[in-house]
Amino acid sequence: MAESAAMGSQSASGAATPHSPAAADPEALLRVESLSSGYLGEDVVLDVNLTVAAGEAVAVIGSNGAGKTTLLKTICGLIPTTAGETRFGSRRLTGLGAHRVARLGVAFVPAERHLFNTMSVEENLALGAYPHRPDPETLDSVFELFPRLGERRGQHAGTMSGGEQQMLAVGRALMSRPRLLILDEPTTGLAPVLASEAYATLGRLRGEGLTVLVAEQHVPLALSLADRAYVLDHGRVDLEGSSAELADNPEVRRAYLGIS
Amino acid sequence: MKAVFLDGIVLGLQMGLLGVGLTLIYGLGGVLNLSHGQFAVLGAIVMARVLQHGASLWMAVPLGLLAAAAVAVLSDLTIMQPVYRLRGEARVLLGLLLMLGVGTIIDGYLEWKYPIEALNIRISGDPISIIGVPMRVGSLVASAIALAAGAALFVFLRYTTFGRATRSIIEDEEGARLCGINPALVRTLIFGLSGALAGLVAVSRAMTSPVISTAGVELTILALIVAVVGGLGSVSGAFVAGVLLGIVNTVSAFYIGTYITTIVLLAAAALTIVFRPAGILGRRA
Ligand SMILES: Nc1ncnc2c1ncn2[C@@H]1O[C@H](COP(=O)(O)OP(=O)(O)OP(=O)(O)O)[C@@H](O)[C@H]1O
Ligand SMILES: [Mg+2]
Repeated sequence: MAESAAMGSQSASGAATPHSPAAADPEALLRVESLSSGYLGEDVVLDVNLTVAAGEAVAVIGSNGAGKTTLLKTICGLIPTTAGETRFGSRRLTGLGAHRVARLGVAFVPAERHLFNTMSVEENLALGAYPHRPDPETLDSVFELFPRLGERRGQHAGTMSGGEQQMLAVGRALMSRPRLLILDEPTTGLAPVLASEAYATLGRLRGEGLTVLVAEQHVPLALSLADRAYVLDHGRVDLEGSSAELADNPEVRRAYLGIS
Repeated sequence: MKAVFLDGIVLGLQMGLLGVGLTLIYGLGGVLNLSHGQFAVLGAIVMARVLQHGASLWMAVPLGLLAAAAVAVLSDLTIMQPVYRLRGEARVLLGLLLMLGVGTIIDGYLEWKYPIEALNIRISGDPISIIGVPMRVGSLVASAIALAAGAALFVFLRYTTFGRATRSIIEDEEGARLCGINPALVRTLIFGLSGALAGLVAVSRAMTSPVISTAGVELTILALIVAVVGGLGSVSGAFVAGVLLGIVNTVSAFYIGTYITTIVLLAAAALTIVFRPAGILGRRA
């Protein structure tokens, strides 16, 4: 565990160690402070501290059931916070409904997509811009990013392939011109080639200045995109650090990269 | 036969409009509004009272629609709030029980205060021939109102931002929230719209036969049958189902007898659930 301490993991009290980026960056765009949440009175996310600076890409990794989805949904207001708080810029997100979080500029792409299946690609994208009418320039940029969507504007979302649905989910999120894009397992159900392509697209968005927070089980892909990452284990942040540091960490290599 | 068929369409358009109001609310919030018919009658009685005070239709109709919409919005904002906090089956059950209660209260109040009140709207003019059948002007205006309301609803749901948002909640509430749509607000406004649509059904119906103060339960049952046959949550389905059932209703009343029509309609609903559980169009929205 010596390595993890050196990388600035959280102490038991939840206060960030001096090495922790959480303490180093009070100006972060997204700040999650001592956050706990869960289901039916039982917390599965425990005392999590996490920050994302403007322009940064951050990954949350961890095994099945670690609490990644719960953490992201709590940030987005889909699951109530039981302790701690989330701040976005100068705004407090905790206690706001999911629709208000979305309107503040936090777009969430859930693993299950939640597309409007009997509506066309175009209608799905238009709804992403709600309450505004879709901005033609943003629409063009989405079609430029995903030419497939442009070719299939009239097709119903429910009849599209898994990869196309993933593109549409990201495209719909981008239509609101978000300041922070949060994605939960964007590679769910995608063949390896498509998974890499999805991450190439995220890399491109990131290069254009978009701030990204992504939960991912496919650790090599996540670390290839992210500047920093958090390792979640049983609802707690077990390790955090730069992607390079984590990729070199023996514990991470053994548990998530399949290298001993 | 042609005349019976046309009468069926006239009735069917009204039934379609009735079912649409019920299906919208169910699609949005899982609430089966078992006081929908009572909302219609409440609007009708308000209109009848206003007309008795010498006001014109142009005054009475908006007031009646407003009254029906107001009761609907009030129900949503008060008694439905605990319902929306529940999920799944519990939500559906509590919702339909509480709305049954609201309907019973409206029924009781109207029967107590206005036992013999009725809304009758006479549109004068000579019958107009449609494919060789002389149709009363009242029937034609009633049908035109139902058609226009249906078309307006279609345009609203398909082409306006708010209408699209409404459909998106029916389809995937979580997805809608992630798009920045507030389901509670949309539900309240659509509840109001559905109340106004119920009032409009009363207006068009009153042009062909009187709407009496005790008609609520019967209208609610009709709305429920139409919405089920159309597929709960499907707006276009409800409209198509309304027209079909209107024809079935009139034809069976003519050839078999009025006493049997409710049984025939219920059988149609039952058969739909068995053979096409998603409704006659087999899809939502
Ligand atoms: N709706 C729910 N009700 C009750 N418990 C839940 C619910 N959803 C998740 N959990 C539990 O919360 C814990 C964390 O789940 P979560 O989905 O956040 O993990 P995850 O890291 O996203 O896992 P995965 O990689 O499989 O997606 C698990 O133990 C899970 O069983
Ligand atoms: Mg998950």
